[in-house]
Amino acid sequence: MPTVTATKKKTVRINGCVASAQAAKYADVDVIAAYPIRPYTATMMALAQMVANGELDAEYIVADSEHSQLSIAHGASSSGARVFTGSSGVGVQFAYELYSPISGSRMPVQMMIADRTLDPPGDFGSEHTDALSTRDMGWLMGWACDAQEAFDNHLIAYRIGEDRRVLLPQMVCQDGFFVSHITSDVELPDSSQVREFLPPYKHPYPLDPRHPVSHGPQIMPEQGPPLQLERARAMEGSMAVIEEVHKEFGEIFGRHYDPWLEEYKTDDAEVVFFLQGGHGVTARFAIQHMREKGLKVGMVRLRTIRPYPTDRVCEVLSKFKVVGVIETNMGLGSPSSGGVLYADACAALYEAPERPLVISFMAGMGGEAIVLKEFYWMTEKMIQAQKRGKIEKRTHWVGFEE
Amino acid sequence: MASIEVQRQVLPILANPNQGARFYNPELPSSEPFVPGHRTCAGCGPSIQYRMTSKAAGDNTILVGPTGCMYVANSSYLCTPYNVPWAHTQIGSAGSFTAGVAAAYEAMIRKGKWRGHYPNIICEAGDGSASDIGLASISGALYRNHDCLIICYDNEQYANTGIQASSRTPYGGMTTFSPPGPEVPEGKKLFPKDLARMMAAGHPHCYVATASVGYPIDLMNKVRKGLNHRGAAYLMVYTPCQKGFVYETPRSIDLGRVVVECGLYPIWEWNPEKREFDYSFRPQNIRPVSEYLKLQGRFGHLHAEHIATMQKFANEQWKMMGVELPEGLIQAADPKNQVNMAAAAEAEAIAETV
Repeated sequence: MPTVTATKKKTVRINGCVASAQAAKYADVDVIAAYPIRPYTATMMALAQMVANGELDAEYIVADSEHSQLSIAHGASSSGARVFTGSSGVGVQFAYELYSPISGSRMPVQMMIADRTLDPPGDFGSEHTDALSTRDMGWLMGWACDAQEAFDNHLIAYRIGEDRRVLLPQMVCQDGFFVSHITSDVELPDSSQVREFLPPYKHPYPLDPRHPVSHGPQIMPEQGPPLQLERARAMEGSMAVIEEVHKEFGEIFGRHYDPWLEEYKTDDAEVVFFLQGGHGVTARFAIQHMREKGLKVGMVRLRTIRPYPTDRVCEVLSKFKVVGVIETNMGLGSPSSGGVLYADACAALYEAPERPLVISFMAGMGGEAIVLKEFYWMTEKMIQAQKRGKIEKRTHWVGFEE
Repeated sequence: MASIEVQRQVLPILANPNQGARFYNPELPSSEPFVPGHRTCAGCGPSIQYRMTSKAAGDNTILVGPTGCMYVANSSYLCTPYNVPWAHTQIGSAGSFTAGVAAAYEAMIRKGKWRGHYPNIICEAGDGSASDIGLASISGALYRNHDCLIICYDNEQYANTGIQASSRTPYGGMTTFSPPGPEVPEGKKLFPKDLARMMAAGHPHCYVATASVGYPIDLMNKVRKGLNHRGAAYLMVYTPCQKGFVYETPRSIDLGRVVVECGLYPIWEWNPEKREFDYSFRPQNIRPVSEYLKLQGRFGHLHAEHIATMQKFANEQWKMMGVELPEGLIQAADPKNQVNMAAAAEAEAIAETV
């Protein structure tokens, strides 16, 4: 019985939060676990209205905390329901305990994250530290750079996570405000396209009284490693499924994404920005501007960070002379004393026959836009390093240095 | 949107609820959703409760087990004692995970994704989960009125981690976090959180009751009443722990009766329709608290004044239940009429065994 009202393809002007809510509606989710925190809240506001209007038949639960949100999602997913939840900033942290149990029990819960800087001091703006701090918990994770991509990523992530070869939860991330609160044109599909792409969720071993199973019993120490290995293999094995699903998505919806990286003006580029999320949109504009001045600069935007596309990153980034990692996250005491993206990029590049120089830029912090002159400044730093053949230092705090 | 009406079960209520554990009741179902073979201690109160509860519920049941004794001692990988679906959840997720299961079944049945009667959804939370770390999650589930039963199996301590004080540990109860010593002779200084009344007062639309393993039919009936209630229900059950309470193993059920007879565990029901407490349950005897305390090593260090303080507490509970206090109990609340539980050396020896 179709529970989502049949809809025709149409283009609407909505922000990232509403695009995420629309995606949850198209996915015909059964259980929604909400708790308010800016900026992701607007997604749950939109879903609440859809349920109130009768556009979506789902249990809409206003939880008592993010910890409870994720526990509700865990329980509902374990019972066989398709689940949608989300959070921002410290809310993501409050639920931290649940991330490993959910991926460990192989429940394909989906969580939307509109990034927000962690406290202190109560900054609303987007930094990716909230989601990135959970990046090793066994969740598939990637960033959208605009509302359309956010919408698409939700459907793609459900399809990947619920695949029996994968069965992992997904964090579908977008920058707070830059993506979550800026409206743009989003093409909403025909519901028949979604039906074709995303079959109903069917977990192989749900909590069903007709087929009793035990989820998550205690184990002896020697029984733990095999389970950890299985989870690691599921994450690694998801890479083939991720490629397959993106290809099929392109065929059905006509939007073809490289699952791992977006390359922008990299054909003849000598220096590139390596970043993820909404700053990719401003980077494209800045690169056009700098290209007019004759600077050979490009961008590589990471779309999926877990599983990390090590081989692709190595292959692509090793083509360039200098890579400037735009962090937009805090990695206090990290190898670069900057953010955490640098370490992953360097690890991926380690086996390259010819390695580029890598610089970490602390830019876009606190949810500040990275402005044109800052892109020029960072490009200048990369060009200087290229000329000198070595970096001046690993990490630059953009806007705090001459 | 067309949707399918959710069909719910109605479980029959058993006769003779005030009978003891040794009373044979032919109406009891033969099914055993909780089977032997687990690793709980001999005489384990919580596991006796688990068996009664799941028996009362029957096979169309889903159990949720937050971290605690009944998680760790029952389940071991590839070997669990549950004949019905069971899932572990985090100790702070008792109410929220259970709410997720309930919401999933509401939606899946309504949307035609699962066919059958709505299952009994039962959460078995220890008192650490229920009174401390999972309190908000349980309150959330009760407040939102998911059709489920949340049980606090109350062994008055964090037993799984090696006997630590919880908000349910009684005044004077020795635990590894509330040991007696020269500066703190009574051990635990605080009185227990009045958890079940808090749940009834704060969520008056829910069926809320207290029970004890000493009264099995009453316990099973309350499980069924809670499951029959359309919406959330909460049950707090006295389940002694021989490891933490330090008593003779075969006396678990006796303790479950004596605690009620001493006024330390009032048995009552909150009626959500009438919005009132039902205090009509009466044990066959009324005794002074010392008769309960002397059965357990965890109270072996108490002095006369502490026992009198506990008697005062019990007398307040009797008043709440509407019982006219016998003169003996009023006298027992005076330290002059009490004696120390044991010499200090003896108390120390008992403490060694905890």
